[in-house]
Amino acid sequence: MIQFEGVTKTYHSGKQEIHALNGIDLTVETGEIYGVIGFSGAGKSSLIRTVNLLERPTNGRVLIHDKDISTLTSKEIRDTRKDIGMIFQHFNLLNSKTVFHNVAMPLILAKTPKNKIKEQVKNLLEFVGLADQAEKYPDQLSGGQKQRIGIARALATNPSVLLCDEATSALDPQTTQSILDLLRRINREYNITILLITHEMGVIREICDKVAVLEAGKVIEQGSVYEVFTNPKQPTTQRFVRSVMNDELPESLLTKIQDPTQNHSIYRVQFTGTSVGQPLMSRVSREFNLDLNVLFGNITELQGEPYGNLIVEFSGSLSEIQRALTAIRSDSVKVEEVKNYAS
Amino acid sequence: MLVDNEQILEALWETVYMTGASFLFSIIIGFPLGILLVVTRKGHLLANEPISKVLNVIINIFRSVPFIILMVAIIPLTRLIVGTSIGTAAAIVPLVFYAGPYIARLIENSLLEVDKGVIEAAQAMGATPGQIIFRFLIPEALSSLVLALTIAIVGLIGASAMAGAIGGGGLGDLAITYGYQRFDTVVMLITVAILVVLVQGVQSAGNLLSKKVRRS
Repeated sequence: MIQFEGVTKTYHSGKQEIHALNGIDLTVETGEIYGVIGFSGAGKSSLIRTVNLLERPTNGRVLIHDKDISTLTSKEIRDTRKDIGMIFQHFNLLNSKTVFHNVAMPLILAKTPKNKIKEQVKNLLEFVGLADQAEKYPDQLSGGQKQRIGIARALATNPSVLLCDEATSALDPQTTQSILDLLRRINREYNITILLITHEMGVIREICDKVAVLEAGKVIEQGSVYEVFTNPKQPTTQRFVRSVMNDELPESLLTKIQDPTQNHSIYRVQFTGTSVGQPLMSRVSREFNLDLNVLFGNITELQGEPYGNLIVEFSGSLSEIQRALTAIRSDSVKVEEVKNYAS
Repeated sequence: MLVDNEQILEALWETVYMTGASFLFSIIIGFPLGILLVVTRKGHLLANEPISKVLNVIINIFRSVPFIILMVAIIPLTRLIVGTSIGTAAAIVPLVFYAGPYIARLIENSLLEVDKGVIEAAQAMGATPGQIIFRFLIPEALSSLVLALTIAIVGLIGASAMAGAIGGGGLGDLAITYGYQRFDTVVMLITVAILVVLVQGVQSAGNLLSKKVRRS
């Protein structure tokens, strides 16, 4: 478990003070994949680095397994770091050493006996699917393969926590997917708690259980991925969600909706959970004698749960429309009028 | 020609000896200094502003004195160390004072080229500062370090020729006493030719070695 309690970080550049972190309170439960998203400059890098004290918080505490790490001695910090693996956007491998040596490095530092190192590195390379590349050098490999080495290296000391610093940001979409699959496997098979930072909402949707949105050094929104994706509250969160949920209306529809001379009854209907499978629209149409025109729709899966999003134009008597809306509103169906979609 | 082959060979040996010995001592002084220059920098492994400042000032002082003046200026110290201020062994002292700080700067330069991310990864693994220096910084910079030290050797060959001016022996001495002061153009040409071959050889060897240690 990782707990941030009122963590702040202030940098001094000349006479200027830069507040990278402005009082972070966050709890990452054991076994979770927790994603922190934010635009560049939001403080993500500083945040993740306070966990292994690559950055020391100016104020506040970071607790790992209930232990305040800021009180540790240098030796204890080094031991704690061995329990916290870290992977990086640019991999940070030793280009002068073979793949084998790179993965073996944490074990060499810990003075593990040679034959044990050999066996363990072999297993790690097999796990990440690079068993046949042991004698190659990093610059002979692709970005995805390099990140796999980084992952194998991070796992060498059997950590209980893995920090991912923009681990897929330098990779193409397909490679990103395979690395994310690998991270999920690590989480499930070894029950390793993963804290990741990213600026890609796709990464959050793909593997995270929980998400926190960081802006100007503050957590502006947090919750389960399902909650935050289906009901983003802050404008920044909405922008992030929109970047992957693909619910942008076509230009022509937008002009139609925004035309003030016409009176449209256009509503966004969100289905969650079991309501997705029900023929709700046709029932409403029949019962209330309305014409429904679906302008836009998609169904995605979040955290293994289906999530539907429809934009529907209702035509018919206004009172019937109101009755219909009341009828379909429920815990799992949310309805809101689309007045001006240009938000 | 006023000199025989034997004299040329002896001069060549003296040059090689002076260069080699002073290179060795310069590394002993310059390498740790170079590492210190890097790790005591602001934001680095063992950031320490006072040490960093003092080191930089001292090294800059030595680096700003022209070799020919340095040679004369430290004659008392040379006498103290080798017992004499004339001859090949005596030349080694000013050569070390010249090349040590120079090598420190070259090493600093090479080590600074190492990606900061690698150091960060090392810290994240729980490496000690010593482990970071010897298992990460130096191996990653090794290829560049070899090239830097090659530059230092070439510089030392040139400086050792200048040491001839205060009776240090070697090819420089030969060129000055016979080629310049006694107008023997042939001796002058031969010594220059030998120096050219020497420098070419050292540079090629350095390039080769640098390539070889890029992966270790």
